[in-house]
Amino acid sequence: MNDPVAFVTALKLLGAGMAMMGAIGAGVGVGLAASGGVQAMGRNPDAAGIIQTNMILGMAFAEAVAIYALVVALIIIFVA
Amino acid sequence: MSEAKPKKRFGVKRWIILGLFAVGIYAAFIGPSILKPVSPVVVLPAEPTGLRIGSFQITNTILATLLADLILILMAIGVYRFIKSGQLVPSGFYNTFEAIFEFMWNSVEGTAGKWAKRIFPIPATIFLLVLVANMVKLVPGFESIGQIEQSPSGEGYAPVKLLQLGGLEVLTVDKGQPVTLITATGETASGNIKATTGEAEALCTICEVVPFLRGSATDLNFPLALALITVVMTQVYGVMALGPGYFSKFLPVKQLVSGGIFGLINFVVGILEIILEIAKILSFSFRLFGNIFAGVILLSILGALLPVVIPPGLYIFEVFFGAIQAYVFFLLATVFISGATAGHHGDEQH
Repeated sequence: MNDPVAFVTALKLLGAGMAMMGAIGAGVGVGLAASGGVQAMGRNPDAAGIIQTNMILGMAFAEAVAIYALVVALIIIFVA
Repeated sequence: MSEAKPKKRFGVKRWIILGLFAVGIYAAFIGPSILKPVSPVVVLPAEPTGLRIGSFQITNTILATLLADLILILMAIGVYRFIKSGQLVPSGFYNTFEAIFEFMWNSVEGTAGKWAKRIFPIPATIFLLVLVANMVKLVPGFESIGQIEQSPSGEGYAPVKLLQLGGLEVLTVDKGQPVTLITATGETASGNIKATTGEAEALCTICEVVPFLRGSATDLNFPLALALITVVMTQVYGVMALGPGYFSKFLPVKQLVSGGIFGLINFVVGILEIILEIAKILSFSFRLFGNIFAGVILLSILGALLPVVIPPGLYIFEVFFGAIQAYVFFLLATVFISGATAGHHGDEQH
């Protein structure tokens, strides 16, 4: 607490790290999508193309959450 | 081809790779401090290169985008000339191009059906541009060659003169001479400066490198422009397919008049649809920007910490991610546009 600049920097880094906790949910989501997609492909290999397209689509939406968290973290560190 | 004969060539390539590893270890750990990787400076907005058209500053990301455009135009001219030549069986580069096109066409036709032929140009253009821009940014020299400037943060390395090319002085930043105790500076170890005699005394003391070229997608404006084009074209295709009735998705006035309480709910849902369109722009642009920018930071920081073994693997990872992000952008654009052309049959049956 003696050095306010260092204190603020430390809090910024802490905040950026906490912002990245949003990646937990995205990771779970991407994993669920991949698991479901691979299971579906295993059961019905003929439909692999359609399943893969939709799987990547779902993964992209789930991953977007992690990217938002990342952008927030980057803004906290480098801009704010 | 690779299975058939060339055992000997593989041997040569292996020695080349091992030699490069040895050079990397020498440069990073043993050699003079001038060769050592410096820790990167991370700048979020694109830096101006000093070129300008009128009052319009050309940033380094615009230059990189123009480079990608140039490559795409050359590819297009090459393919056009190949088609003109009348050969039916493609080979080499044209074979790759045909494979990419077939892949894109199959994806679009799978989702859009009979509209595929009219939708195809927009997502295909986006795919090719993002793919080429993402690949071109991995070429060495991007984000490392640039002008040396005074570091605004007051942390940096001293400049060292490498050689003289006519009137052009080639300088580099030296890790062995950190000017302040905190070490953070110019991306990699080289920088040009246009040294007229007048500027010579204005040369920086604490330096960082402002690169001439930086990956297009590391500037938020590039994905944002693509996202805006996609979302606007979604509305255009929606109107083309359904007529003015397309906008009843956003403002279902007819149902509000006739539908009672459910009409009111549908009206609120329509407003939510408008918010959804804006959210599409946000998610489109931040997805591409975040992925590519995080990749750049990952590469440069890990490249400074562990210079030898890890970066090649990450480079492959980045190639993969550049392609995947281009594909995701392309796929989402296709799905959104074909969704707009398909209309909303669910509402009409009520």
